[in-house]
Amino acid sequence: MGDSSFPSGGFAFSCGLETLKADGIVCDRSGVEAFARSQLRWRWATADRPFLHRAAAASDVVELAGLDCEVEVMTLARELREGSRRAGRSLLRAHGSMETPGVSAYRSAMADGNALGHLPVAQGVVWKGMGMAIDEIEAVSAYAVAAGIAQAAVRLALLGPLDAQSMLSALREDMEALLVEEPPERPFAFTPAAEIAVMRHERGDARLFAN
Amino acid sequence: MSNKPEGAARVGIGGPVGSGKTALVEQVIPRFARRGTRLAVITNDLVTKEDAERLKRSGLIDPERVVAVEAGACPHTVIREDPTLNLDAAEMLELKFSPLDLVLLESGGDNLASTFSLELVDYWMFVIDVAGGGDIPRKRGPGVLQSDLLIINKSDLAPHVGVDLEQMIAEAEAVRGGKPVIVTNCRTGEGVDSIIDHVARDVLFDT
Repeated sequence: MGDSSFPSGGFAFSCGLETLKADGIVCDRSGVEAFARSQLRWRWATADRPFLHRAAAASDVVELAGLDCEVEVMTLARELREGSRRAGRSLLRAHGSMETPGVSAYRSAMADGNALGHLPVAQGVVWKGMGMAIDEIEAVSAYAVAAGIAQAAVRLALLGPLDAQSMLSALREDMEALLVEEPPERPFAFTPAAEIAVMRHERGDARLFAN
Repeated sequence: MSNKPEGAARVGIGGPVGSGKTALVEQVIPRFARRGTRLAVITNDLVTKEDAERLKRSGLIDPERVVAVEAGACPHTVIREDPTLNLDAAEMLELKFSPLDLVLLESGGDNLASTFSLELVDYWMFVIDVAGGGDIPRKRGPGVLQSDLLIINKSDLAPHVGVDLEQMIAEAEAVRGGKPVIVTNCRTGEGVDSIIDHVARDVLFDT
């Protein structure tokens, strides 16, 4: 499920890395690694992870719709908000055609305008539907963040593919440490440099990525 | 196997940078409009939204019906290995402008290796141009071989770039095993009517 060849649209999102590079704030591996750590520590672990849990435990589509609303109002930067919905919709579309349990009801609610398909909620739904346990769901979700950043960094020529793999190895320790911590009760995120970069990206001229 | 529900047909337009894809879209839009075909366009610009902006400003189509999808520096991926973002954009357009007959998908930043997934489109055309070299058909790139329609554009430039157009056409037809090859000049519109006829007959089932 974490295989980068699974079609879910993730490759088009850099979560601010494109602009951080353009602004000269991230320009090498150490910068990319620091960016990845902050995304894992202060966005994935504190915001995505609680929503993953709640989505995987949700008993009906109404609950999922409620989670979508929370993600929507919490995600300030427009391209992050829209990116989350697009990536979530893409993931749900792929699982819809695989007939993963739980997906079609959620997608119907989205088609009716009653749910939004935000990525952490969508991930909880589809991977729970695939029969994965919550710790597996969390691990795949965290890995997807790290791998997505690594791949974007390679395409932004911030590091080469071998260096990217070495970076992912180094990040495993961070992910393992985060996975054994208790998730916060109330979700929050604090990655100001990245969020400002995403906001600036809206007006950027050169846009390889959607955010 | 396509599990696309009933809805608009999707036609892809691929081809190397500068071959005339956007010019072709500009020629094609008014011709479809005259036939009453209800249309929307998705562009996959590589870096800027220039292709999308050009079409929006052209006055040929309601700008709301033109959507740009970013490809994360992967123009092939977004039409082939992972077309989910384009599928998403097409679905959003169909919801917003229903009923739609046709969605055109203009690829961007490509080279000769780009091909469209049949999970994304029902039919696709590949645009090369005379100034890109008369030998391109002989090189048998997947776009040249596999596209439903091959378009050789900028026919007027052949004498200026030392290309024997008749030979280029003959070689294209030979490598394509007889699948259609259409010669165009997308600045003047010459040859474009034939493209419309093919799409109308083979995709819209409407002659």
